[in-house]
Amino acid sequence: MSREMRGNGSETAMRLAQEHPSGAKARELPTAESARADSCPDTKPASDGSCSPSLQKQDLHPAAFAQDDSAVLKNEPMTLEAVRKELKGVKGKRYWRSLDELANTPEFQAAVEREFPSAAQEWIDPVSRRGFLKLMGASMALAGLAGCTKMPDEPIYPYIKAPEDLILGKPMYFATAHPFTTGAVPLLVKSDEFRPIKVDGNPEHAYNNGSSDPYTQGTLLDLYDPDRAKHVTYRGESREWAEFAEAFQNKVASTKDGTGVYFLSAAITSPTLARQWSEAQKAYPKAKLVQYEPALAGTFLEKGVNVQYDLSQADVIVSLDAEFLSSASYPGFHKLVRDYAARRKQPENGMNRLYTVESSTTTTGMKAEHRLGLRASEIPAFAAALAQAVGVGGVNAPAYAWTPEQQKFLAALAADLKASAGKSAVIPGLYQHESVAALAMAINNALGNLGKTVFSSSEPAIPVPSDQLGDFKSLVADLNAGKVDWLVILNANPIYDAPADLNFADAFNKANIVVHLGSHYDETSQQSHWHIPAAHYLESWSDARAYDGTVSVVQPMIDPLYGGHTAHHILQALLSEPMLSPYDAVRETWKSTIKGDFEAGWRKALHDGWIADTVAAGPPKGSAGGAFNGAIPTPTPKDSVEIIFRPDPNVYDGRWANVGWLQELPKPVVSLSWDNAALVSGATLSQWNLEEEDIVEITVGNGRVKAPVIVAPGHPDNSVTVYLGYGREVGRVAGGAGFNSYLVRNTWAPFYATGAVRKVEGKWGVAVTKSHYQDKRPPSLLGQGQGDNSLEGDEALGPRAIVRYATLDEFKANPNFAHEGYTKDTPPYDDSLFPNWPYNEANAWAMSIDMNSCTGCNACIVSCYAENNIAVVGKQQVRIGRCMQWLRIDAYFEGDLAAPRAHFQPMACQHCENAPCEQVCPVGATIHTPEGLNMMIYNRCVGTRYCSNNCPYKVRRFNFLLYSDYETESLKLMRNPDVSVRSRGVMEKCSYCVQRIQEAKIRADQENRTIRDGEIVTACQQACPAKVITFGNMNDKDSRVSKLRAQQRSYQVIADINTRPRTTYVAEVLNPNQELEQTPVEHA
Amino acid sequence: MAQIFDRSSNALARMGLVLTGLIIIAAGVTLDELQRSPWVTRQGQRADQPIPFSHEHHVQGLGLQCQYCHTTVETSSYAGIPPTRTCMNCHAEIWTNAQLLEPVRQSWYTGESIPWIRVHDLPDFVFFNHSIHVNKGIGCASCHGRVDEMPLMYAQNTLQMEWCLDCHRNPAKNLRPTSEIYNMAWESPSEDHPVWCAANDKADAPTAQSVNCTTQDPSGQGGAGSEMASLRMPPAAATGLTGEVAAAMPPASPSYVKFADQMDLGHFLEVHYKIRTPKDLTSCEVCHR
Repeated sequence: MSREMRGNGSETAMRLAQEHPSGAKARELPTAESARADSCPDTKPASDGSCSPSLQKQDLHPAAFAQDDSAVLKNEPMTLEAVRKELKGVKGKRYWRSLDELANTPEFQAAVEREFPSAAQEWIDPVSRRGFLKLMGASMALAGLAGCTKMPDEPIYPYIKAPEDLILGKPMYFATAHPFTTGAVPLLVKSDEFRPIKVDGNPEHAYNNGSSDPYTQGTLLDLYDPDRAKHVTYRGESREWAEFAEAFQNKVASTKDGTGVYFLSAAITSPTLARQWSEAQKAYPKAKLVQYEPALAGTFLEKGVNVQYDLSQADVIVSLDAEFLSSASYPGFHKLVRDYAARRKQPENGMNRLYTVESSTTTTGMKAEHRLGLRASEIPAFAAALAQAVGVGGVNAPAYAWTPEQQKFLAALAADLKASAGKSAVIPGLYQHESVAALAMAINNALGNLGKTVFSSSEPAIPVPSDQLGDFKSLVADLNAGKVDWLVILNANPIYDAPADLNFADAFNKANIVVHLGSHYDETSQQSHWHIPAAHYLESWSDARAYDGTVSVVQPMIDPLYGGHTAHHILQALLSEPMLSPYDAVRETWKSTIKGDFEAGWRKALHDGWIADTVAAGPPKGSAGGAFNGAIPTPTPKDSVEIIFRPDPNVYDGRWANVGWLQELPKPVVSLSWDNAALVSGATLSQWNLEEEDIVEITVGNGRVKAPVIVAPGHPDNSVTVYLGYGREVGRVAGGAGFNSYLVRNTWAPFYATGAVRKVEGKWGVAVTKSHYQDKRPPSLLGQGQGDNSLEGDEALGPRAIVRYATLDEFKANPNFAHEGYTKDTPPYDDSLFPNWPYNEANAWAMSIDMNSCTGCNACIVSCYAENNIAVVGKQQVRIGRCMQWLRIDAYFEGDLAAPRAHFQPMACQHCENAPCEQVCPVGATIHTPEGLNMMIYNRCVGTRYCSNNCPYKVRRFNFLLYSDYETESLKLMRNPDVSVRSRGVMEKCSYCVQRIQEAKIRADQENRTIRDGEIVTACQQACPAKVITFGNMNDKDSRVSKLRAQQRSYQVIADINTRPRTTYVAEVLNPNQELEQTPVEHA
Repeated sequence: MAQIFDRSSNALARMGLVLTGLIIIAAGVTLDELQRSPWVTRQGQRADQPIPFSHEHHVQGLGLQCQYCHTTVETSSYAGIPPTRTCMNCHAEIWTNAQLLEPVRQSWYTGESIPWIRVHDLPDFVFFNHSIHVNKGIGCASCHGRVDEMPLMYAQNTLQMEWCLDCHRNPAKNLRPTSEIYNMAWESPSEDHPVWCAANDKADAPTAQSVNCTTQDPSGQGGAGSEMASLRMPPAAATGLTGEVAAAMPPASPSYVKFADQMDLGHFLEVHYKIRTPKDLTSCEVCHR
C-alpha cells in the first residue's frame, strides 16, 4: 500500500496513490511530490512539500473516532496524537498491528478491502493491461497445445565409480558447525548427492539442541550465492592461487621478522587459526594481527568474556539492554531462549518473569512482563541505581532525574530481585557501555546468583581476545605512517564497514600491496591488489567453539564451488609446513585433546559434531559480595538525540546482505524488509514533525547519511535506532538496499552516539509487511464489527480473540480462561453445511503453537524458505503485498503506543478440516487428504485466486510473476529435490512439510509399523530455539500434540466460522509483578 | 433477380452444421487419442541409446539379477542406473574389443558419463518412490513389462496418471509375494498355477517376512515344503476363504492357503502387507507435492 499519502485526506490523493504506487522506485520523488502539492486543499503545503499532518489533526476530536464511523468514512486522517488519546480512553485489551491500523487511515481501509494490496494497479495502467492481454493471448494459445507437447528426451548421467556410501534419492546428514562471531552454532546438515540442501542445528548438541537462527539458516543461500567471487585476481587480472602463495611467501620470508606485514582479520573464531597465528607470530615477531568485527568491536565479547546464564533456574530475569531473546547476535542465544521458554510452557508449575530495560525496540522487550524504554546513555546509570538498590557496595550511581514511572519500575525490580536472590539472572547488553556488564555481574554476585544461574566456561568463544578498535586505530596510524608494506585482509570488508572517523579508505591506499580474502568481490576487493575467493564454511575444514565453549569441527559438505581458500591456508603459508592443508592443521590442533586412539576419537568427533571434554563450566571468577569499582558514565541531557547502532536482525553486519531470504525477511517488531530505517518513537516522530517514510539526514561527528524514518512502537523518545549492514554497493540482492549506517559510526561511540537528525526533501518507500494479509469483513458477518474491521484489529480484541492471554493469577483462578468470555468459539461438530469427513481412521496431522514461548526470532521463516524452495520476490513486489513466505509472525501490539506489549503469533496455513479455500476452487487444485492435510496440487492450479480470497487467515501466496529462479545454475544445487519449484500463476501455501510426512510414511510402511510420535518434524519446528511448534498425530492420544491440544489453554483462531483448524494455539500466560500490575504503563 | 441460394442450399447448410459438429468431435477425439498415443507417451518406443544394451541378453541369457545393476531399488526412491564400473566388472574381462562397447571403455578412460536417454520419464511434479512399491509386493514387471524379453529397452506402459491410478484404486490386481518381485516370469495364480501362502505369526515382522508363499503345493505332493506339511491344516480347509477371513485366523497355526485367483491373492496380501486403502493411495499428496 502507498504510505506517501497519509494525512492528505483528498480523493485525488487517494487515486493518485493507487495509480502511482510507491512500488515503482524507492525514491520516486517527482510524482509523489506533485501529488502532495495538488492535494492539500485545506492546508498550505509545508515547505517540504507535504501537507503538514499535524495542522489537520489538532482540531479533530479523537473521541469522534471511537464512536462515529462517519468520520472514518470521510477519509479523515488521524494524528499520532489522536491515536494515543484514543488508546488512552480504551479500557481492557486493545490490539493493533500498525500505526495505519490504529489511525484507521484511508489507505488502511483501502488496503483491507483488497485481497492483495495495490495488486489492482497493473489493470489501471493501460499499457500494462495491454501487455497482460498480449501475454494472456499467448498463454491461451499455448494452453491448448501444452498438454499435447512431448516432453523432451531427458538424459541420465550415471557415475563412473559410484561413491561407496551414496544412495541416490536418500539424503545424508553430516555434523558440522557454523562459525559465527558470537559463538559457533553446531549443525547437522542435510546433504543430497553431497550437496548441502538444508542447514539445521545439531539435535544432540547440548548447546542448541537442534535449534538454529535466521543467520544460520541463511548461510545456505550464502553458499550458493551466484555473486560469490570465483577467481583469484591481481589488479583485476585472473591469477592462480599458487602465484599468490609464492609471492606472499617470498615477501614474508624476505622481511625475516615480519616487519611491515599486517593482517586485518574478522574476529578469529577458530582455535586452529589462533594456533596458526601464534606460531606465525613466533616465526615473524614483527608481523601484526588486527581483528576487526564491526558488530563485536567495543563489546565485552571481544575481550574473551564467557559468562553463561542458566535461565532454567531463574525465576526473575532482567535484561539491561540485552536482546538475548531476539537474535543470535547475542552470545548464547539458542540456549538462553530454550531455557527461557522452558519455564513458560507449564505456568501451573511456576514460570519466570522477565524485566527488560532497553534502548531500542526488540522482541526481548516485547516479550517482557515489564519493559522500560530508556535512552541508551541512561542505561548505565539505571544499572548503577539498580545495583545500589540491591545492595552492591561501592557503586556511585550518577545523579539523574528519573521520572516517577522509572523510579517505580526500579523499586519494584530491585524488590523482586532481592526476593529472588539466587534464583535470578541479570543479563547485560552486548552493545552497552562496559560498566553495564560489570554492574550486572556485581548485581548477580550480590544476589548470590554466581554458580546458580550465572556460570563461566573455561574457554571463551573468541580465542584471541583483543582491543579491536584500539588495534584498528593503530593500524590506521601505521598505514598513514607508511609502515605497512603488505596488508592481508582476512574475511573482513573494512572499506565498507570501518568506523567513519578513521578515514580508512585513505589510509588503505598507503599500503604497498593489499591482499583481500573474501567470499565476494566486495567494496574492499575492488580496491585491493590481490583478491582471493574465500571458501564458505560449508566448503572447508576448520573448527570453532560454541558459546558454551564446546569445540566443534567444521567439516566441508561440498568441494569449494569456486576453488576458494581459507585464512588457514594463508597463515599456514608462513609456517614451516606451508602446504599443510586445513584438514591436517585442525587435526594437529586437537591431537593432544582427543583421548585414546586419535583416529577413533577424531571420527567420533566428526560424527557427533563436537569434541568431548573440551570445556568445563564453573562459577565465574569474582569474590562473593565484592564491591564494584568502575566509572559509570552520566546520561546525556534528555533533549539530546541519541543514535543507536545495532547489527541488523537479518543481515547482521552486512555479510549476508546478498542473501535474498534474509533481505526479504520482515524484521521483528517493525516488519520491515529490504531496507534499514531510522527507527523512532511515535512521540518523536510527531515532535520532529515527520511522517513515516520521510527522509532524514543523520549526522554524527563528521559523518552524515540519509535514511527513511519509520516508527517502532515503544522506542524511547529522542533516540534513533539504525541497523548496520545495508547500503552495500555490490551484489545483485544487496546493492541499493537501505543506507550505510557505518558512515555515521565512529570509534568513540560504536553502539550509541549523540547526533543530530534533520528532515530533508523526499520520501523513501519502504516495504513493511504488517499492513498486508488483512481482511475486509462486512458488518453483517455474524453480527461482528463495524464494517471497517481488519483481521487483526478489532477481532484480536473482540469475542473472536485471535490473541488470548491471562495473567498467572487469572489463569490460576480460571484455567479455562481461553474459552470463557469469548462468545464465538468452535461451533458444534454437526453445525456445517458440508458433510463431515471422518478423520478417526488413520493419522490426523495437527500442529500446536505455544504463544507463550514464541519470541518472534524468525528462524522458522528462513527454515521454511530453504525446505520448501520458496521464491524471493524483491522489494517492489513485497511492497504490493506479494511476499511468498508461507509462514509469517504476526505481532499484535497492545496498550500504549509508547510502551506496548507485543504478542507474537506464527501464522501459516491452519489446515482447516472445513477449509473455505477448497469450497471455492473451480479446478480442485486445493483438496483434502484423508489425513486432514489441506493440499495444493500445483499442476492443477489455474490461478483464479478464489481460494486466497476465501481464506480467513490470509496464508495463501500467489505467484503473480515468475518468481522462482529457473536459470541460475548455482541455485539449482540448493533446491530441495522433494518439493516442486512453483512457476508463474500458481497458488502455494504451507503444506505442513508434506514431503517429510510422506518420507516418514514410506519409511514406516517399509518397516511395517506406525509412525512414531516425533518422527515427523516440520522445518519450522526444527529451527525453533524456543520449541514453540509441535507437530504430530492427534488421533494418537499419547502424542505430544494431542496432549497440547487437550490443554485448557489451547484454542483455535477464528474457530467461530467453523473452519476447524488443525493448528491450535496455546494461550499466553503472563507473570506480572503485582507492584507494577498497571502494565503496560500508561503514558502521558 | 434470381435467388443466390436455391433450395438445395438448405440441405447443404444443415449438412454443414452437422459436419462442423462432427469435425469438432473428431478433432477432440483425435487430440485425446494423440495425447494417449505412443507419439506423446513414448510407450513402446526404443530410444536411440549410446549403447544398444540388451536386457534380454543380460537377464534372460546370463541370469543377472535386477539389483546387480539397479542397486537401490529396495532402499530409495530411485532404483539407480549402474555406474560405468558395473559394466567394467565384466567387460574388463570379456568382449574387451567389442566395437559396441567402445562408449563404455571411453567412459571408463575419460571419466565422462555414458549419456543414456531416460526411457521411463515421469514429469517433474510427480514424486515416485521405487522402494515402497517393491517392498509392498509390486513386481518390476508390473510396471516395466517383461524386461527380460526386451533386446532394446522400451516403456511397456504409458506411465500416464490414469495408468497409475488404475492400480492405486485397486492394488490387489497387481500384488504378488515379495519373494517374486524380481521374477520376470511370474504369472498370476490360476487353477493351473495356484499359489500357496501362509501368514507369518509375528505381527511386527517386516513386510518381506510377513507372508511366505510358494508355487509348490506344501501339502506333501513333493516339493520343498513337504516335511512341514504335517504341522499344517490341510489346504482344502482354507480354500474358498477370502483374504480377510484367512488373515483373521489364529496366527499360532500357520497354514498355507491356496490361491487360484489373482484377486484372492491380492486381497490376502493387501491385509498382510498392510497396503494402504485406495482412499489413501489416491490422495494427491502421495505423488504430488
